[in-house]
Amino acid sequence: MAEFNLRSDSVNVEQIMEQLRARIREKRGVDYTEQQIRELAAVKLEKFLDPRGVRSDLLEQFRKAQPAYEPPELPNFAFEDSTLFESHRAAIRWLRKLLLPILKLFFNPNPLIQALHIQSQLNTMNAEREARREATRRQLDQLYYELIHNLVVEATRLGIEVKNLKMRLESVSSRLEFNERRARALESVVVYKPSGAESERPPRQQPPPPQSQPQPQPRGQAPPQVSYVAPAAESAPTPQPAPAGGSPTGVEGPGQRSRRRRRRRGRRGAGSAAAIMGAPAAQSTSDTAGTIAGDAISVSEAEAVDEYEGGDEGGAAPAPAAEAAETRRESSGAEPPPAPAPDRSGEPDPQ
Amino acid sequence: MKIAVVVQRYGQAVNGGAELHARYIAEHLARHAQVEVLTTCASDYVTWRNELPPGVEQVNGVPVRRFRVKHERDPRVFAKRSDRVFDERHSIGDELDWLDAEGPTSPALIDHISKHAADFDYCLFFSYRYYHAYYGARAASGRAILVPTAERDATIGLSIFQPLFRSVRALMYNSPEERAMINAVSGNEAVPGVVVGVGSNVPNNAQPARFRQQHNVRGPFAIYVGRVDRNKGCNELFEYFQEYLKDAAGKLSLVLIGHSLLEIPPHPRIRHLGFLDDADKFDAIAGAELLIMPSYYESLSMVALEAWALGRPVLANGKCDVLKGQCIRSNAGLYYDDGAEFLGTLEALEQNRWLAGSLGRNGRQFYRENYEWPVIEHKYLEMFDRLKKEAPRPIVDPLPGWFDRRRQDLRPAEEVIAGLPTGPAGRQTAAAPHRAAADAAGRRRA
Repeated sequence: MAEFNLRSDSVNVEQIMEQLRARIREKRGVDYTEQQIRELAAVKLEKFLDPRGVRSDLLEQFRKAQPAYEPPELPNFAFEDSTLFESHRAAIRWLRKLLLPILKLFFNPNPLIQALHIQSQLNTMNAEREARREATRRQLDQLYYELIHNLVVEATRLGIEVKNLKMRLESVSSRLEFNERRARALESVVVYKPSGAESERPPRQQPPPPQSQPQPQPRGQAPPQVSYVAPAAESAPTPQPAPAGGSPTGVEGPGQRSRRRRRRRGRRGAGSAAAIMGAPAAQSTSDTAGTIAGDAISVSEAEAVDEYEGGDEGGAAPAPAAEAAETRRESSGAEPPPAPAPDRSGEPDPQ
Repeated sequence: MKIAVVVQRYGQAVNGGAELHARYIAEHLARHAQVEVLTTCASDYVTWRNELPPGVEQVNGVPVRRFRVKHERDPRVFAKRSDRVFDERHSIGDELDWLDAEGPTSPALIDHISKHAADFDYCLFFSYRYYHAYYGARAASGRAILVPTAERDATIGLSIFQPLFRSVRALMYNSPEERAMINAVSGNEAVPGVVVGVGSNVPNNAQPARFRQQHNVRGPFAIYVGRVDRNKGCNELFEYFQEYLKDAAGKLSLVLIGHSLLEIPPHPRIRHLGFLDDADKFDAIAGAELLIMPSYYESLSMVALEAWALGRPVLANGKCDVLKGQCIRSNAGLYYDDGAEFLGTLEALEQNRWLAGSLGRNGRQFYRENYEWPVIEHKYLEMFDRLKKEAPRPIVDPLPGWFDRRRQDLRPAEEVIAGLPTGPAGRQTAAAPHRAAADAAGRRRA
């Protein structure tokens, strides 16, 4: 995010924002907003629904905001004993009331009134129960829809996350593979100091890197304290230079060398060991002067070993390799043999 | 020349944006004219309780006349009426009831303006949304100049304010976005107006080291100044900044200055220092790497201007048209629309010193050219001269009658706002469907 391609010294905020947004998009790949996730979820829901042929417009139906439920305007079911004789005109009402005893001479309206009163109560109860049921059903519908919607949104979100995690896993596994290869390469070269009488025996031969050019030491940086001790195999009475290949048979196939070269190029392109291992810059700097695992090897030497591994290329070795070789030469006091190679007989073929 | 500054609250301890704006303007205009401040006895903008004595007092050499507030704000009534006018179809009567519930209802202040408006050449009304501005501008018609301090919130969609914007002598806007919004909502293009804003008393010798020592602040930090409130976008700020803190490469801390109404996330790199005086505030801004303005609604961010005056870049919420517009015009700040952009812009400002420095320099230049006090004073005086030469505008429309007040034909304010153009001035999108409301008001008057 730090660099900007600005044409002149003057700042254009809109231009910067465009670049920043482009960079964010580039960095994140597909940048899903909440809205986009929801759209994706909707698409997924549609895909889920369509093959089953449930209802092609079910989602749309669900999406449509349900109109607010209003209970129907039911007629007034109330029926009291005075209902039959009511009137909005007071005079008529009074007259009916006056003539009611005469009416009762002809028939008894009370059972009729009672029956209608009970019926009105039943009607009201039914209407209320129906309204309650309808409201409950609508609430449940909304809940189901929300539930399905949330599930689909979460599933989509998880799908995206899984995709991202897969990519990260891939990246991490490639790094791990590389580091394993590197570790194997280091293991084959690093030899620990023998203890006791063995350590007093001078090494018979040192394998310096081929055609290494001594480089000036960086200012303020101590030369790496490297002690290189020849392996026991090399101290045999008739030393033979180990084969350059790491195959168990000791014979390198015709394609192996080029494969190794390709591998080496790939490693160089991947940055320094400290960077690849994820160590902070300061840490790697300090490590350059220190040693690892019982004064056997340092990071700079690791780089030297890396180059050492490919001594068959015949090119000039980079500075750390030259430094390591120089150090070894100084410590042994012997002239380097013409084309030595480290003992890598135990290294499995990384490929 | 005699000028009245009418504002809802006034005093040295009153720190609201519009109130501070009014105080600064009154004190600076007092160098060129005889200024009297007319205000209420309230000092709390939530309750409008009468806390200061009525009568005349001097504040920084400016006479201030205070009037009692008739009733305090009832939050329940205010909320109920707000829901009514913002979200439902309603009448003018509902809106007037809402204005009364909002307060500060001070009929004594309006009476005084009615009786003494002729004593002043001009009456400057601050904050269109309050009782004093609505009724005061009517009382001082022909002399009323409005400093609306309008934000893009639902209040601007209320129909009672449209005649107000059309009938004052002039409007002093805070930003081109505010002007465009008011023009769109009320159709008041014919009313003289100028984008002025306000300056600030930024010291020349801010001392960030003193602030760091006093408050034990170490390392680089971003700063937020203002009320720590959900309405100011602080919850979003916390969310985004906590995301930023997960990145080990980021070294910035967040320093918050101002009263808090929100719970501050418990993180050692989020520091809340509470309310600080101006000297400390300016020292803090000067020591910050950048100022963050997460607010959605701003009429003019004085804090952003102060940061620019001190040569600091601003990271603003891009959803606030005014802040985004200011950043683009000044070339002195970046803006974000979501979390990813927040992280990207914050990292850019943190890691690219050249960029941050250039934005800060642009900000300082922008402030000097537009918001230094001589510039602000000149714009006010120029407007007074212009109005002196022009004939006074017709008297403001009378209040609607009994039946008109009860006609439920006004759209919800939120709906009106949704139709207004958005984006920074000059790049606004969407048409302004305000005409329907304006026409309806015209028909009612006819």
